[in-house]
Amino acid sequence: MAKNTIGSLFFLAFSIFYFINVFSIKKMPGGHFEVMTASTFPYYIGLGGIIISTMILIFSFIEKDEEILSLSYLKTLDFKTTIYFVGAMMFYGFTIRSLGFIIATIIFLLIGFVLLKERNIKRILLISVGVSVGFYLILNNVLGVYIEPGMIADYFVGDES
Amino acid sequence: MMDGIFLGISTALTSYNIMMVVIGCFAGTFIGMLPGLGPISAIALMIPITYGMEPSSGLILIAGVYYGAIFGGSTSSILINAPGVAGTVASSFDGYPMAKNGQAGKALAIAAYSSFSGGTIAAIFLLFAAPALAKVSLSFQSSDYFALMVLGLTAVAAFAGKGKFLKAAVMTVFGLMLATVGTDSDSGIARFTFGRLDLIDGISFLLLAMAAFALSEAMMNILENKEQTQKEKDDLNESIGSLKITREEVMEMAPTVGRSSVLGFFVGVLPGAGATIASFLAYGMERSFASTKEKLKFGKGSLKGLAAPESANNAACSGSFVPLLTLGIPGSGTTAIILGALISYGIQPGPTMYVDNPALFWSVIVSMYIGNVVLLILNLPLIPYIAKLLTLPKQLLLPLIIFFSLIGVYLVTFNTFDIYMMTMFAVVAIFIRIIDYPMAPMILGFILGGMMEDNLRRALTISDGSLAFLWERPITFTILIITVVLLLMPMIGELRSKMKKSKES
Repeated sequence: MAKNTIGSLFFLAFSIFYFINVFSIKKMPGGHFEVMTASTFPYYIGLGGIIISTMILIFSFIEKDEEILSLSYLKTLDFKTTIYFVGAMMFYGFTIRSLGFIIATIIFLLIGFVLLKERNIKRILLISVGVSVGFYLILNNVLGVYIEPGMIADYFVGDES
Repeated sequence: MMDGIFLGISTALTSYNIMMVVIGCFAGTFIGMLPGLGPISAIALMIPITYGMEPSSGLILIAGVYYGAIFGGSTSSILINAPGVAGTVASSFDGYPMAKNGQAGKALAIAAYSSFSGGTIAAIFLLFAAPALAKVSLSFQSSDYFALMVLGLTAVAAFAGKGKFLKAAVMTVFGLMLATVGTDSDSGIARFTFGRLDLIDGISFLLLAMAAFALSEAMMNILENKEQTQKEKDDLNESIGSLKITREEVMEMAPTVGRSSVLGFFVGVLPGAGATIASFLAYGMERSFASTKEKLKFGKGSLKGLAAPESANNAACSGSFVPLLTLGIPGSGTTAIILGALISYGIQPGPTMYVDNPALFWSVIVSMYIGNVVLLILNLPLIPYIAKLLTLPKQLLLPLIIFFSLIGVYLVTFNTFDIYMMTMFAVVAIFIRIIDYPMAPMILGFILGGMMEDNLRRALTISDGSLAFLWERPITFTILIITVVLLLMPMIGELRSKMKKSKES
């Protein structure tokens, strides 16, 4: 399928979804007296989105020299590692509060290095621990940004709160 | 004006701000050098750090990063034929052949001196153009601003390239749509929040910029799994040779640098154009000016072929600050990110910034020049060592870039929802990159969306709901006419090329 066809279908679907949701924007009492309400601007850009993506879609069928999203290109992409990375990022978001900054960051970086096939264990540990602890110290002591170190750090240093 | 310049010099020349320029230039050079990561990513990565600073220091750091990233992009273009930034693609045409001929040092020196000259000429132009435009724009009303924003967004689409007009237009609209998420600034009504409190304040520009650029670029590297080739590794291990340029060579390049700098500055001022178009135009211009004998050298290591795009892209960077600082309207993705940063500091760029915040206004202009000096006297001699950073294995670099992107956004709000949202946006951005839709118009639409709506509302209120404001004020009308011309230009161009094709067949 042509790249433009795929793109236009995606943006058309998004624009339609957006346009439908414009009608669920609440109206202020007496809003019909206003020259412009909260839904006026979204209404027109939603409409604009539908029109432009439909135009791209039509042109993608008319044009013969459209660039195709080939299966051979897709086969070269490493979806597995990327999906694992997306999972690691979600996991990081999930653990940064519960485990704390230092532990969550060490785990995230460890996973990242391993996923990208870094095999030098010493280097992996040194960088992940060094970056997490170093960045934590810079944040707290230089930039004055307090960020919870987490339970393990609390265990060693003691909970100051 | 002189008072303002002195105020700017005294602000920019404090030891802290000089340190910021130096750090910015180094960080920018390093990030810009990494293939795939451009100035937008470099600036986005730096913004969280600047939140705790004075606005002038923050902006000075960002300006340093911008210049550094362009310079870094040139370095990877010349050394390994892998431009880190679109604006330096033209530099690789002659820079890489020079490096292959054992003149990498000379090529890097030409790039640095040309960039410096381009920056200097553009800074002089900026010094006069920015206040003049700021004074004119003091008379602008909301309808004029609305028209200007429409022009800016249209220009971005119009200059997107052959066959990309509609794609850029839909991406702009996509950005405008994302900008409407959150509470309506006028009525206080929540829009597209789907009952989530996390979305009440809307989508943070930093989150979107980071997800769409730094994060998705790093993820694309993982997805495409591009290993550094042995050839690239060999190129990096080769000696770069002497950095010296002879007097004859300087004389040969001087007119090229002058012409390209002026061209670059004016192209940079145009909304939607910018460093990429400027560098290609300058390269094309020099090629057409060259004698038949010289023309043959282009693409094989011509000094003029390298000096032209390098001067032009740097001058265009300065030029792009003119509409940003004087009208508060960014003309490119990079300046859109800078505008977002300024708004985060509580500063609204525009003609009033020139009056209300002269120290900031002038210190940015002065620091741009200091940035050029820093790049020349510090970065150039250190380039052989900085270039070694390119040999850092990707398996170590990419997780770190992803970590800094995530934590940069998280540290602003301390809301884990931002990490999830960023991941989701990054996935969408990867898809958009695969189908080859441009990302910069989206960020421009996103940044301008809120302002556009506010100005439209004000203009409609003043004209009592009538659309007559579009043609009643001469400034608004003129800007809209230019917009229509810009809108029609790519369409006519495409039609003509189709007619030509059909005639040929």
